[in-house]
Amino acid sequence: MNVCDLIKKYDGKTVVDTVSFTIPKGKVLSLIGPNGAGKSTVMGMISRLIAKDSGVIRFEGKDIGKWKSRELAKKLAILTQHNNVQMKLTVRELVAFGRFPYSGSRLTKEDEKMIDQAISYMELEDFQDRFIDELSGGQRQRAYIAMVIAQDTEYVLLDEPTNNLDIYHASNMMRTVRKLCDELGKTVILVLHEINYAAFYSDYICAFVDGKIAKFGTVEEVVTKENLSEIYKVDFEIIEINNKPLSVYY
Amino acid sequence: MVKSKTYRGYGKIFFGLTALVLAASAAYLLVDSKMYNPRLFEFALKLRIPTLLVMMIAAFAIGGASIVFQSIINNRIVTPCLLGMNSMYSLVHTAVVFFVGSGSVIAVNTNLSFAIDLVIMGITATFIYGYLFQKTNHNVLYVLLIGTVLSSFFGSIQSTLVRVMDPNEYDTLLVSLVADFNNVNSGIILFSLLLLAALVFFLRKDLALLDVITLGKDQAINLGVDYDRTVRRLLLGVVLCIAVATAMVGPVSFLGLIIANIARQMLKTYRHIWLIAGAALVGMAAIIAGQLIMEHVFSFAVPISTFITIGGGIYFLYLLLFKKGEC
Repeated sequence: MNVCDLIKKYDGKTVVDTVSFTIPKGKVLSLIGPNGAGKSTVMGMISRLIAKDSGVIRFEGKDIGKWKSRELAKKLAILTQHNNVQMKLTVRELVAFGRFPYSGSRLTKEDEKMIDQAISYMELEDFQDRFIDELSGGQRQRAYIAMVIAQDTEYVLLDEPTNNLDIYHASNMMRTVRKLCDELGKTVILVLHEINYAAFYSDYICAFVDGKIAKFGTVEEVVTKENLSEIYKVDFEIIEINNKPLSVYY
Repeated sequence: MVKSKTYRGYGKIFFGLTALVLAASAAYLLVDSKMYNPRLFEFALKLRIPTLLVMMIAAFAIGGASIVFQSIINNRIVTPCLLGMNSMYSLVHTAVVFFVGSGSVIAVNTNLSFAIDLVIMGITATFIYGYLFQKTNHNVLYVLLIGTVLSSFFGSIQSTLVRVMDPNEYDTLLVSLVADFNNVNSGIILFSLLLLAALVFFLRKDLALLDVITLGKDQAINLGVDYDRTVRRLLLGVVLCIAVATAMVGPVSFLGLIIANIARQMLKTYRHIWLIAGAALVGMAAIIAGQLIMEHVFSFAVPISTFITIGGGIYFLYLLLFKKGEC
């Protein structure tokens, strides 16, 4: 998937300004940057949730606007931050929605199998008949990830998946992200606020500042003292743990 | 279909509801029907069967429209009333009486007045809400807000007309502004039925997407639903359903809030096929029972909309005060 000269304006204010990059296949790519840098908007545009003003997004060689929405849903899944369901929905029912692009509301045996697999992959067997609104934040997030797994897409887009989670659940979430890539071979694109999660769990990092790409490269290339200070306008120190650069800021 | 414990007991609930509706219908047809005299009995049935059908059609239209509307807005305490259809109905009727008089063919001939209601409400609503949708970039909440404003706008024009109207004319007008299930002729019943059937047929694909729509806009798009188009079509369906129901019996859509919520509370499911059917059945039971009480206890002295408003108001407060978490 590649993105070329993407532009988005809100009321004349340019929030995404001629952004171009290529998403490396089978890797974890994190989009980082200060608030309002446009990373979530870029994510929204490449997942067709937000309409772009100009630019081209190519997905498997074909313009994303020319894809049939339902076909695209079999290739690309997005999970946003705001998921409040008003309905009485059990975990299993939610996960079953992941099969919607394939079978509509009539589930086949194969669908049931995929749902079972997704549920056991996220270790939700004990919760599968509980209602979504009765779960804790961490469990709910896992249920949504299970739905994305059931959707069985090559590309998975997650908008701030660690938001509102405590350290335990957040780091578990990041390990899951890594597993999605390493074990299931998916291409994962994340919007993240925690630089260290991005540094520790992703392969590539794309840093945004003021709607433009400030840095794009491997973790080692991007997470340096100079780069981060420039991006966030805060003093940084970089230390190395497990051969990964981790940042300290204050 | 997904098998899980939530689906157990549906059969029982539907069986119970259907039994209730049948019992209410039977009671409505038979109570005080002078069965000992075949000719009187026949006469009673001739009057009551159309009313019964009207109540059932109205319950289905209003219940279905309310469930769909709530799911689109993603809120359980909204009703399609908020779109301003009731005020539009009142305005149309007031305008007819005001400009051409209560004695004119348009006001007296029920078929004609039904057709006029339906055409004006249907066209205006389709035009206004279709346009609003495009203008607001498919923002449902804006449409809702503008609907509320339009509702008071229509209401103001109507009350201005009423103020300068001849008191005798107003007296005749008032009858048509209150919901009434009697005096609807069979032509209208058949036509409404066909119209609703056509509506359900044309929207069947969109209705099937409703389950996904309730997951929210982002999730629906993620799962490959053409969200804007589906919601636009569904909303127009809601508007037309309410137009049919209102043209047929008068302004009763407040009822939708009650029956939709009772159905949701009883069924606790996200499957809209069940919810719509449930709301329709609850609606039928409620209206028929209400009409029964109205006819035989209050001898037609209290209009049924009084019950609807009182019951609806109390239930609304109950929802707001005690069901906060679920709204």
